[in-house]
Amino acid sequence: MFNNQEIKSDDIISLTNTLRWELGIDFHDKIIESIYADASKIAKQSIQIEDAKNSTILDQKIDNIITSKWFGFPIMFLLLAIVFWITVAGANIPSSWLAAILLDTIHPFLKNIASQIGMPWWLDGVLIDGAYMAFAWVVSVMLPPMAIFFPLFTLLEDLGYLPRVAFNMDSLFRKAGAHGKQALTMSMGFGCNAAGVVATRVIDSPRERLIAIITNNFSLCNGRWPTQILIATIFIGGLVPSHWAGLVSAGAVVSIAVLGIVFSLLVSWGLSKSILRGQASTFSLELPPYRPPRILQTLYTSLIDRTILVLWRAIAFTIPAGIIIWLVANIYIGELSLAEYFIDWANPFAFYFGLNGVILLAYIIAIPANEIVIPTILMLTVINSGLTGIGEGAGVMFELDSVADTKRILTAGGWTLLTAINLMLFSLLHNPCSTTLYTIYKETKSIKWTAISALLPLTIGFIVCFFVTQLWLLFSS
Amino acid sequence: MVLLLRPITALLIGTIFLMLLAWLLWPRKGLISFWSKRSQNMKRKLQEDALKFIFDCEYKHKSCGLHSISGNMNLSTNKAAKIITQLQSIGLIVMKEDEIRLTDAGRSDALKIIRIHRLWEKYLADETAIGNVEWHHGADSKEHLMSLKEVDILAANMGNPVFDPHGDPIPTNKGELPTYQVQSSLSSLKEGDIARITHIEDEPSIIYAQLVALDLYPGMEVYIMDVTDEKIQFAANGKECILNVLFASNITVEKLSKIEPTQKKYQTLSSLNVGDKAQVIGISPKCRGQERIRLMDLGIVPGTEISAVLKSAFGDPTAYKIMGATIAIRKKQADNIYIKSRQNRNEQTARLRELSSVS
Repeated sequence: MFNNQEIKSDDIISLTNTLRWELGIDFHDKIIESIYADASKIAKQSIQIEDAKNSTILDQKIDNIITSKWFGFPIMFLLLAIVFWITVAGANIPSSWLAAILLDTIHPFLKNIASQIGMPWWLDGVLIDGAYMAFAWVVSVMLPPMAIFFPLFTLLEDLGYLPRVAFNMDSLFRKAGAHGKQALTMSMGFGCNAAGVVATRVIDSPRERLIAIITNNFSLCNGRWPTQILIATIFIGGLVPSHWAGLVSAGAVVSIAVLGIVFSLLVSWGLSKSILRGQASTFSLELPPYRPPRILQTLYTSLIDRTILVLWRAIAFTIPAGIIIWLVANIYIGELSLAEYFIDWANPFAFYFGLNGVILLAYIIAIPANEIVIPTILMLTVINSGLTGIGEGAGVMFELDSVADTKRILTAGGWTLLTAINLMLFSLLHNPCSTTLYTIYKETKSIKWTAISALLPLTIGFIVCFFVTQLWLLFSS
Repeated sequence: MVLLLRPITALLIGTIFLMLLAWLLWPRKGLISFWSKRSQNMKRKLQEDALKFIFDCEYKHKSCGLHSISGNMNLSTNKAAKIITQLQSIGLIVMKEDEIRLTDAGRSDALKIIRIHRLWEKYLADETAIGNVEWHHGADSKEHLMSLKEVDILAANMGNPVFDPHGDPIPTNKGELPTYQVQSSLSSLKEGDIARITHIEDEPSIIYAQLVALDLYPGMEVYIMDVTDEKIQFAANGKECILNVLFASNITVEKLSKIEPTQKKYQTLSSLNVGDKAQVIGISPKCRGQERIRLMDLGIVPGTEISAVLKSAFGDPTAYKIMGATIAIRKKQADNIYIKSRQNRNEQTARLRELSSVS
């Protein structure tokens, strides 16, 4: 009997198959259409729409200004500039408070306790100078700008302004094979690449989303701005008379950021034409009505979803990195520490790219956060060039308040204008920090895309540095 | 900082390295993609292609001999003969009085390959952004690489489709196909006929590329305007097309018993001016897969009222009011959405009234 039934069900399946052939090719469409027709008929009968003419007219007026040829882009640049200015200016104060507490008060305090209880010097070094120091550094440098930038950005989003930016910018991004909303994830990337990668969730088309994820790293993030500003002030501002210095070094930093945008668009275009060509792609962009922002909710969600999430990931990666940083500077094989071995080994190779072994080592061991690259470079330079009387000792990251002192350390480490320019380029064009890489893996669930996101900018960085250096040497000799 | 290589030498090495990298990685033309193409088993591929062709002849009740195989597969007669002997020796075909017949095993193999081919075409058309001229080619290489199990999973993920994007039926996993019905081609229609395109033959690819360039797709309604011995002139989606008879014979149609064409000339959404209202008639069959589903999800289905409200600073995309929401879509998408302008309808009724008042 069971057998009988089986035959019967087979018959039914083959009958349905023949019937489906007779239905024709647009059968699915017809069903969807009729469902929509029914749904809209029911909706029309049962839903009354309030007359919302007044607000729509106001919306329309605002939209006409914001999306107009002449005002659209100036308004956008102005608003974004204000957001960045508030972030940079506003973050300085809490950053220095946090640094005063975490670095200048708690760190010596912990050291003190450690020596009182007779902790062995290596354990004290690994835990306090390594792990704690890296943690404290990341929190004090990373937290304030993010805690200011993300809520501001979310406010603009909540207001309904950001979708209009995407609407205006779409034409440019379309030509690069990307989605207009990538303008938003890019801007978010200027705050933090990891948050920028999370923000690509708003892009609903698979191909354009991957493009936005892979190219987000070309947005110069918060962790890299201080590096750019410091190096530009020391080496590029120093080229011109002092009353021009500020303007020239600011110009250099902005051109690096603009170069990042150019690379972002170029790489988007290349990706959409090569490895991402086959990925499905659609476009639609909702322009929600303007509404007063819900400030408290915005604060809450941007702090919890963005700031805390990113900070947590950064800390989780930084603590082990802090230990490694301390160890490479303090484990000796014979005369030299591991760090010095690596630096000596990497120097001949790095010089071809206008960099040096210290920079390469710093970018490898400070991978968790771009914020700790400069302190690591300073610490390594001091060890490597045998300077005494500066810094906090081997394996302890530090920064100096005085730009002139920093310059002295770097020049002692063999830095030239060419090194500075290459560092600025390499800081823009290198693999994303491990926090961002982990976030990319979480978002794409793919090792392949994560690897591409890491290796593509790194390769571009080495190529650009190499050609800049060699051309420079060719023309300067 | 002392460098061993002089800058000029280093630059040279760097440039050569870049060129090597490009040569290796260049999409579709580079060494890596070349290798991956080469790694396919050429012998098996030829056998399977021949099997497919023989099945096609059998399905369409055409006779199939050595010459038609060598002609269709673009092979010398010698090579074709070699393949036929190979197929014969593994028991997939038998010769009967100069005619090639499939054995049951051969038929089931052929059906398997056709199933993979058509399903993969469907997949490329609906789930990827790969252009329609490349579907056939992509499926041609994929059909030799997939296993039946993989293809069953693929089919299930797509909701077991029954037609490929050209309008050909996809064999079921049991190897069933609808019996072949002789269908009329576009070239057989007469002036004034209204028909719907059911299938566009994708081989030879030169003709197919031409038909695609004319924006002809299965599911499209055509209205025949003029027929001569050499040429056929017709309206499809509001555009006038002229095809020679050879090209037209690659399009299969189903005659409709309508007297009036639904719409001689379709207006597209992209032509709607800001501030104007219209009613959606439909989405062009050219727009497929996720893109089509997305547009329909937004409420772009026949009968929906739509109005253009805003152009972006560069003029593209444009925002439309659809079912109370403001949605921006790009011009390329709006080109595929057909509308009936409301003003036009008013004009039409006005003209009708005029006419009636005159008479």
